Amino acid sequence: MISAGFVTLFEREIKRFMKVVVQTVVTPFVSSFLYLLVFGVTLGGEVEVHGGVPYLAFLIPGLMMMSLMNNAFQNSSSSIVSSKFSGDLEDIRVAPISNQQIVWAMSLGGVVRGALVAMITYGVGAVFYYFQQGHVLLIQHPLILLYFIVIGGLIFGMLGIGVAFWANSFDQLSAFSAFVLLPLTYLGGVFVSIQNLHPFWQWVSKLNPLLYLINGLRYGVLGVSDVDLLHSVVLSLAGFVVFYGISLWSLRKGSFQRW
Amino acid sequence: MNPLQIENLRKNYGSVDAVKGVSFEVRPAEIFGLLGPNGAGKTTIISIVTTLEKPTSGSVKVFGQEVTLHPNFIKKQLGLVHQEVINSGYFDVEEILQFQSGYYGLRKNRERIDFLLHKLNLYEHRHKKVKQLSGGMKRRLMIAKALVHNPKLLLLDEPTAGVDIRLRENLWDFVRELKKEGMSILLTTHYLEEAEMLCDRVGIINHGVIEAMGDTQSIIRRFTQREMILTLNCDLGVPADLLLEKNGRTYRILIPPGKTIGTLLADLKVESAMIMDLQIKEGKLEEAFLRVLKNNSGGGQ
Repeated sequence: MISAGFVTLFEREIKRFMKVVVQTVVTPFVSSFLYLLVFGVTLGGEVEVHGGVPYLAFLIPGLMMMSLMNNAFQNSSSSIVSSKFSGDLEDIRVAPISNQQIVWAMSLGGVVRGALVAMITYGVGAVFYYFQQGHVLLIQHPLILLYFIVIGGLIFGMLGIGVAFWANSFDQLSAFSAFVLLPLTYLGGVFVSIQNLHPFWQWVSKLNPLLYLINGLRYGVLGVSDVDLLHSVVLSLAGFVVFYGISLWSLRKGSFQRW
Repeated sequence: MNPLQIENLRKNYGSVDAVKGVSFEVRPAEIFGLLGPNGAGKTTIISIVTTLEKPTSGSVKVFGQEVTLHPNFIKKQLGLVHQEVINSGYFDVEEILQFQSGYYGLRKNRERIDFLLHKLNLYEHRHKKVKQLSGGMKRRLMIAKALVHNPKLLLLDEPTAGVDIRLRENLWDFVRELKKEGMSILLTTHYLEEAEMLCDRVGIINHGVIEAMGDTQSIIRRFTQREMILTLNCDLGVPADLLLEKNGRTYRILIPPGKTIGTLLADLKVESAMIMDLQIKEGKLEEAFLRVLKNNSGGGQ
């Protein structure tokens, strides 16, 4: 499993996003900063969160997971799509690297980028939190946080692989991001607790799988969650299995050919 | 054992038969040219050999191993130079070669990479990105990539498409050098001059079928005619079936297959004192190629 080909591809994935660090790390940092400033600090006092948690603290893990999911998805998908565009995706197909190694290397590349941006978001949020609340925002369950960072990064890295292998243009990729990923993320409890919603909308929200990932990570940071932690763990594992299968299938059936 | 052995290979895309029962082999340390017009099936065959495509039926063996059964073994034996230049926008030349090497299990391959960079005159450009390279450098980078893991069989898929003549000659010299070192090479091209200069044997493929195959020279002899252009100081009677053209006392005469120049001159009763000038015009692979395609379009040869 851990072959030189796998290590090389993983290294390439990380070097690739570090080459465009402004786009991949600095831009998410700026948007997290603005979200935290506008929603967390400025409007935060107006919003009441169930359980007496300060809104800024509630928002930080939500934004961490949102950054993680977006960046993990974008890392694998844009790596594949830009390789399709430049033609070097066939190099990977022709080389003796198995589909499993390709999936793991690319999705772990997504985990690293996603984790990096998530931890930057935490850092920025923690600074705001310190100035607002006067004490440090400590991570309550580091291992649970680590679990949701890794599983969330893997799921969205694998989703990115699946979508990118089937995409026939950059447009299709950004359409998936805009019309599927973004609404699910925004409606998945990043900004509001579902406990503040009407029971009907609570029920609807619980159909959104992203809710469980976002709240799982929130439990890791704050020790509170809108959903049962066990549900989050079980559903995230099931999501991992499903998207692992989808990404492997995409590699087998999708196109490595140049656009 | 032949580096590449293809037997009765077929590939269908839906109702389209791209390759229809092709058989040929590439022998050790030979350059085999697979020649054909666009859409003849050359790139499809290359794609099957490199495991990018699966054959519909037939057998493709690389060093005795079936490509569909042992893809990883096959991939390590092969180097592929793509028809089109690959960009790899984020990385420089050296990084591209390091990654390529790593894909083949060679994480520490500095010596080979430096050797290829020097050999292909890319060393001083090793920190440039692909878009900063000239057309010739890009082609050389494609070749360096294909060779970085020391493959035993090199597949050159139209490696000189769109390349100027000076660079083409440099690449030909390099390919000859590789052959001397013992590498076996499958070359697909529609530059017939290139194939004639480089290939030990050629196969002419059209509409997914090999129409003719053999030693390059024997293919040329089989499908072209040699001519003699003879200028004399007196008139000569030349049989009508041999005379191609007469211009004053200059005769363009067909050299029948198997006939030597000496016996032909003797048959024509030409003595050396009569000869002002004599030129032999050998057939070209291009003529043979066109003849084969024409024969085929006229109902097969």
